[in-house]
Amino acid sequence: MTGETVASRYGPDQARSTICVYLEREGVALAPVSLELLTKGNDLARETGWDLTAMLLAGKGDDLAQEAIAHGADRVLLAEHRLLDPFSIGAHAQAAYQLLLKDKPSVFLLGATPNGRDLAGRLAVRLRTGLNADCTTLRLDRDRGVLVSEVSGFGGGVLALIEMARHRPQMATVRPGVFLVGTPDRRRTGRIIRTEVSLAQEDIRTTVVERVTGQEIELAQVPLLVVGGRGVDGNFDMLEELAGLLDGAVGATRPPVDDGYVGRQRQIGQTGVICRPQIVINCGISGAFQYLVGVQEAGLIISINTDPEAPIFEESDYCVVGDVHQVVPALITALKSREALSAEAGKVAHA
Amino acid sequence: MDSIGPGTGDGTITLDDSTWDRLIELTGGAAGPCFQCGLCTATCPVGMVRDETFSVRRLIRRAQLGLSVADSDLWLCAACGQCEALCPRGVDVARTLRGLRNLAWEQRQAPPGLPSVLWSLYWNNNPWSQPPSGRSRWSHQLAIPRFDPGEHELLLFVGCTPSYDRRAGRIAAGLVRLLRAAGVSFGFLGDDEPCCGDAAFSLGHEPFFRERSWQAAEYLAEQGVKRMVTVSPHCYDIFKNHLPGGANGLQVCHYSRYLAELLQVGRLPLKNAVAVRAAFHDPCFLARHNAETRAPRSILEAVPGIELVEMAHNREDTICCGGGGGRMWLEIEAGQRFAALRVQEALAVGATVLVTACPFCVACLEEASAGRQDGLQILDVAEIAVLALDEEPK
Repeated sequence: MTGETVASRYGPDQARSTICVYLEREGVALAPVSLELLTKGNDLARETGWDLTAMLLAGKGDDLAQEAIAHGADRVLLAEHRLLDPFSIGAHAQAAYQLLLKDKPSVFLLGATPNGRDLAGRLAVRLRTGLNADCTTLRLDRDRGVLVSEVSGFGGGVLALIEMARHRPQMATVRPGVFLVGTPDRRRTGRIIRTEVSLAQEDIRTTVVERVTGQEIELAQVPLLVVGGRGVDGNFDMLEELAGLLDGAVGATRPPVDDGYVGRQRQIGQTGVICRPQIVINCGISGAFQYLVGVQEAGLIISINTDPEAPIFEESDYCVVGDVHQVVPALITALKSREALSAEAGKVAHA
Repeated sequence: MDSIGPGTGDGTITLDDSTWDRLIELTGGAAGPCFQCGLCTATCPVGMVRDETFSVRRLIRRAQLGLSVADSDLWLCAACGQCEALCPRGVDVARTLRGLRNLAWEQRQAPPGLPSVLWSLYWNNNPWSQPPSGRSRWSHQLAIPRFDPGEHELLLFVGCTPSYDRRAGRIAAGLVRLLRAAGVSFGFLGDDEPCCGDAAFSLGHEPFFRERSWQAAEYLAEQGVKRMVTVSPHCYDIFKNHLPGGANGLQVCHYSRYLAELLQVGRLPLKNAVAVRAAFHDPCFLARHNAETRAPRSILEAVPGIELVEMAHNREDTICCGGGGGRMWLEIEAGQRFAALRVQEALAVGATVLVTACPFCVACLEEASAGRQDGLQILDVAEIAVLALDEEPK
């Protein structure tokens, strides 16, 4: 091996000074992570004087293109083709590849979702470029036109700043929830550029036979988690009610799962789900290490336990010393009265 | 007759020479001497916790024939060594099963959740997804000096679980107090302490284990370590018995042996009475894999006030806590965890404290006793010795 690297399909000289965001759909709307990327991309574009491009691959896409413009896109590359809906990795990889070669954006961003990751890896290989996966921050060096991606490694102990000097597009994926969604501006205008893509049925090696939405929620992805331990004594209805009021989901430690109060798929910890909610509320949990491993990356840890010496408190941001059977119902009552109040306020406002 | 492998449906099985060769390589031919008597299956503790026995014999037969191993039973083995102790042919069963697991890794058939354990070992230098920068956090109040070969007679090798699991950290902290009380000059490696690679070893990823353990041994040699004491019997077993090419003359012992020696020469002042009725649970990686049953008991016997009782299964006849063989990272169904058997045995002999000498055993036994109303306490030998420590200046 020599120090020579393989050249990308297009290089920095040919690249256009634009940030391109791949738009992912969730049902009939744009996925939250795409809106987050548009907001971030818009910030970067304003700082550097570049423009922001959104890539929309759909069966029919005018409404979503307008939505992307409202969220900051200056131009939307729109490819409409019957084979692009529903999503299949074969068709989307093929179409995105064609659009990228045509438009040659300098930066290409995708959400680190299952489909986004799948697509990003395939495209990076086809384009002979690099991919910075799971970035926690993005910056754009205006003078050099270089994207600086921050990636945390070694369990958060090390931060790496990664640049791509000679390869384009500069690809990065970002996990959902890392960036905020800005307020859409419906009066914004932008250009919708319709582009033909050539796709054949043979490009698609998967068929959607049936779409089944499982009962299960993806605990690893929820923003707020209410977790019950042995101290809850199986009263998970109470936790469900609390989680419902806070738009969260319910998880459990091992003992209530063992006792059959909750299904094994809701177990949090080393041998269950490892999650990173923005907020976790630990109810009646002493804090065994094997459980803590599952929530240590939560943004905010609130714990309720009768024992002031419980190890869980050493890992918590807020410690409530008290009986969950009293604290949680009180919380529920408080949340309900607040909801009732705001409902009242809403009526007044509309009157 | 039960089936032994994937067949064509008409009772025939197809043997694949390359898989056979690979298994011979991975197991070092360990399955060869087996004559299929089935004593392993009969004595395996899995049979004590569920109706269906765990057919160790069948897995060995697969290894002999070179059959692929899509079999979830493969991950049940806790590497406790019970079957090996009784095997009339001296088959290294644990090695055979690790070889089968290695093949499962190669064929991408490892259970979900396990790859992330090995990735954590790769990225974080521990199997618990914990930041490397927090490895020495447990010790900050203790101000343990960095190991210096010119100054210290001993390296304290803490290990991953005592470093990060606060409960297990209390064992390490207790050991530090004991070593200080005995006037031992020692240091540790702080955040730089390398993982011994036990998770990769016990989960059967041999090449990754070799890489990790070799790096660990090399680092210890660079640091000038000649003699070290481990908190965990698992680290001890790795350094003593499984380091490729030996451990560069490194003298390693489990802390229970080291404390027993300090006691013998009168350096450890265990004077205070601890009035408990204690049963000792022998960790498999001391009692069976390293024939060490004496040292931990001699410490307990030296503590005034302790009434030492033996459970039905003791010394080399111990029953595993369930945490060996990588099972700390696998979910075992409720009702099938060995630790519950040990708690029952301890209560049956009227013990008030169940003592052991391994961070994994402490975790499993404590989990089995938590929530019970009988008040059985789980302690490590180091913790109970600290209670007896007479730290008044002499």
